[in-house]
Amino acid sequence: MELQYKKNDATGEELYYGTHSSGLRIFIIPKKGYSNNYAIFGTRYGSVDSEFIVPGDDKVTKVPDGIAHYLEHKMFDQPDNSNVFDKFSKYGANANAFTSFNMTAYLFSATANIEENVATLLDYVQSPYFTDDTVSKEQGIIGQEIRMYDDNGGWKVFFNLLNCLYHNHPVKKEIAGTVESIAKITPELLYNCYNTFYNLSNMAIVIVGDVNPEKMKGIIEANIKKNEPFSEEIKRIYAKSEPNEVVQQYIEKSLSVSTPLFMIGYKDIDTGYTGKALLKKSIEIKILLGMLFGKSSTVYKKLYNSGLINQNFGTDYTMQPDYAFTAIEGESKDPKAVYKIITDEIDRVLNEGLSEDDYNRMKKVLWGKHIRSQNDVDEIGTEFIQLHLMGVDYFDYYDVYSQITFEDIKNRFKNHFVNERSALSVVNPITN
Amino acid sequence: MNNINLFYVPMNKLKTTTVGVYIHRELNKEDVSKNAILPHILKQGSKLCKTPEAVSKYLENLYGAVLKAGVVKFGDDQVLRFEAETISDKYAPNKEPLTYDLVKFILSVIFEPMTENGGFIKSVVDIEKNNLKTRILSEMNDKRTYAMHRCIEEMCKGEPYALSANGTIDEVDKLNEKNLYEYYKEAIVSSVIDIYVCGDADADKLQALIDETVANIEFKEAKITKTNLHISDAEPKNVTEKMDVTQGKLAIGFRTGILPSDKDYFALMVFNSLFGAGAHSKLFNNVREKLSLAYYASSAIVKAKGVMVVNAGIEFENYQKAYDETLVQLEEIKKGNISELEYQSSIQSIINSLTAYSDLPEQLHNFMASERVYGTNYDIDYVKNEILKVTTDDISRVAQGITLDTVYFLKGKEE
Repeated sequence: MELQYKKNDATGEELYYGTHSSGLRIFIIPKKGYSNNYAIFGTRYGSVDSEFIVPGDDKVTKVPDGIAHYLEHKMFDQPDNSNVFDKFSKYGANANAFTSFNMTAYLFSATANIEENVATLLDYVQSPYFTDDTVSKEQGIIGQEIRMYDDNGGWKVFFNLLNCLYHNHPVKKEIAGTVESIAKITPELLYNCYNTFYNLSNMAIVIVGDVNPEKMKGIIEANIKKNEPFSEEIKRIYAKSEPNEVVQQYIEKSLSVSTPLFMIGYKDIDTGYTGKALLKKSIEIKILLGMLFGKSSTVYKKLYNSGLINQNFGTDYTMQPDYAFTAIEGESKDPKAVYKIITDEIDRVLNEGLSEDDYNRMKKVLWGKHIRSQNDVDEIGTEFIQLHLMGVDYFDYYDVYSQITFEDIKNRFKNHFVNERSALSVVNPITN
Repeated sequence: MNNINLFYVPMNKLKTTTVGVYIHRELNKEDVSKNAILPHILKQGSKLCKTPEAVSKYLENLYGAVLKAGVVKFGDDQVLRFEAETISDKYAPNKEPLTYDLVKFILSVIFEPMTENGGFIKSVVDIEKNNLKTRILSEMNDKRTYAMHRCIEEMCKGEPYALSANGTIDEVDKLNEKNLYEYYKEAIVSSVIDIYVCGDADADKLQALIDETVANIEFKEAKITKTNLHISDAEPKNVTEKMDVTQGKLAIGFRTGILPSDKDYFALMVFNSLFGAGAHSKLFNNVREKLSLAYYASSAIVKAKGVMVVNAGIEFENYQKAYDETLVQLEEIKKGNISELEYQSSIQSIINSLTAYSDLPEQLHNFMASERVYGTNYDIDYVKNEILKVTTDDISRVAQGITLDTVYFLKGKEE
């Protein structure tokens, strides 16, 4: 395998990349002078992938909710009964893993023994070992993880919002599943999911740090186990159909919190993009979020000065090729008043238009954010692989960003901020 | 003469420059909420940018430079802290002097506040009083942190360290634009103010800017508050609280008897790593992996205070099991049952974190600031060197000096 090279002149970032005959995609981002190294090995497989057709099969496989996350926990057990944390610890690495809606990733950061640590990372993620005993042992641990989230207001307000926005799409289901769903998980089911989604042609590895790319390539190649790449795609069944409309515009729940938490969502129905088009849409929406609700905006001033929001106010945009949504969150004594002010502002801008000054300032802000995100090896690696697994090249950022115009922003505003497709989720304090 | 110390740490490999300002105050009941509110008031406007909107636009024009204001406790030293970050000048698309403009802004925020009628702006103070009250009430939202705070509060009852860095609702109610401004005028001239700049900057130019900004201010002698070790000969105390929660939170507080200036300090750091700080630790491998009682079970030391807190999220009925296992694992270390792998992993874990600081400006200035507070002023290489010298005998000896102080448990209302 030959590594290819590219460099972004605007940021100075460099990339070495290639695809191994096993199907594994490899990316190495050298950071001169850094002490810390970061590697992340991920598969395009997350909590939304509970129904799928294995390549070569003709029937649909349906597995319990929460299985991707469960599988992530069980990858740390090794065939010789050892725990892979022990190996990383010996080499001074800080190892971890996470499961999100659309990916599962295994990672470490380390300031020494980078070669041994990369070899360990590749080895354990390619060595599944599930038995009845090891699988049942995890029920208690993940059960406590689920309970921890049950008491977490920020988590509940988020998933309740997704349940307002989505009728059928599995993004509305909790990543770890439920105590009931995970009770159905068996070693056979785990092997079935592993053999489907951990095929190396569904995976990528990213290494960031002061490393020698050729040497890293050698270590990766030496540690790839036998793998037949799939010749066709894994068919993922997310939802028969997802209506454009939201399910409901309001939901509330009570939990042990001091002040009501709120999250307002806008369902994005302009989906189906990947690559540069998807990246462009996300930059446009982030610029808009800054213009409409950033700290210098009229709405922010109004909300803050009337005591309706505090410093814990923020916006975010989550995107994948097949679904996307905006979330505006905070704490407020009166979430419904916040929702009214925000939807009124959308109506006002629809009539009066956006300010080009605001646009120019927010475009600067986005550039600063992009540069700042290149400081930290963990942040670059995670961002890079997340984008890659949704078909976006991190190194396209500059080109896409430069081409965005005020016209694009105006069009995106009309397309995305539609009050009928918004919802408000609230977590209230328990009153006795 | 002024009380401002500039520390410049070149980190040219980074694409940003980070500024950390630490204004050191004594933690005490009377001033705690004043200190807690001040950074938030100051951030709302200054001579340079008179309104919150002007502040935001100024920072946005610096390509979205970030400024966070808040307050933290380093033992009995309460710090008003400003943390800021901008892309470094060499990445400024139009060669703007971003770092200089950011520091100029921060200095204006600290030394040139907006005032009216001999006080701060009343409307700003009123909003920030409400926000601070919300923050105080919100301390119960994250139950894991809350349980740890409650444990420390119970342990250190009667000592300043029992205070929350935000203070109390009662103290906030006493504040107004006049008494706060009076307090500010005294505090700003009588505090040690440390400014860390990490990244790529012209330190001489920044020093000149500082000197120029404060040229007309008359400073008084200032020092950083020393923290007293938490000592007690009382029997262990049990505290149980009930809330509407589905998971129990256990927090077990211990006295370590060791301050950063003690020779056993490095052994205590390694002990903590081995006991409960990471996936190599005894708590992780026994409370979580062996007994499946918890998703997280870990220990943390409050270095300045000689206190350690173990915490875990568990089923209510597993309280005794989790408590017993924690003390069994402590006993194991006291007896010297430490494997070679555990020992090496504990050392390497600390070395790895310390080495990574050279890429992480916020962690780096936080490390330097805490060393100033402890009065030790160790540099990273010295600490690493001392960590490498720690033996398993040292770890056991330190463990033998650790005593149980307070057991806090948060559980559900229905049982």
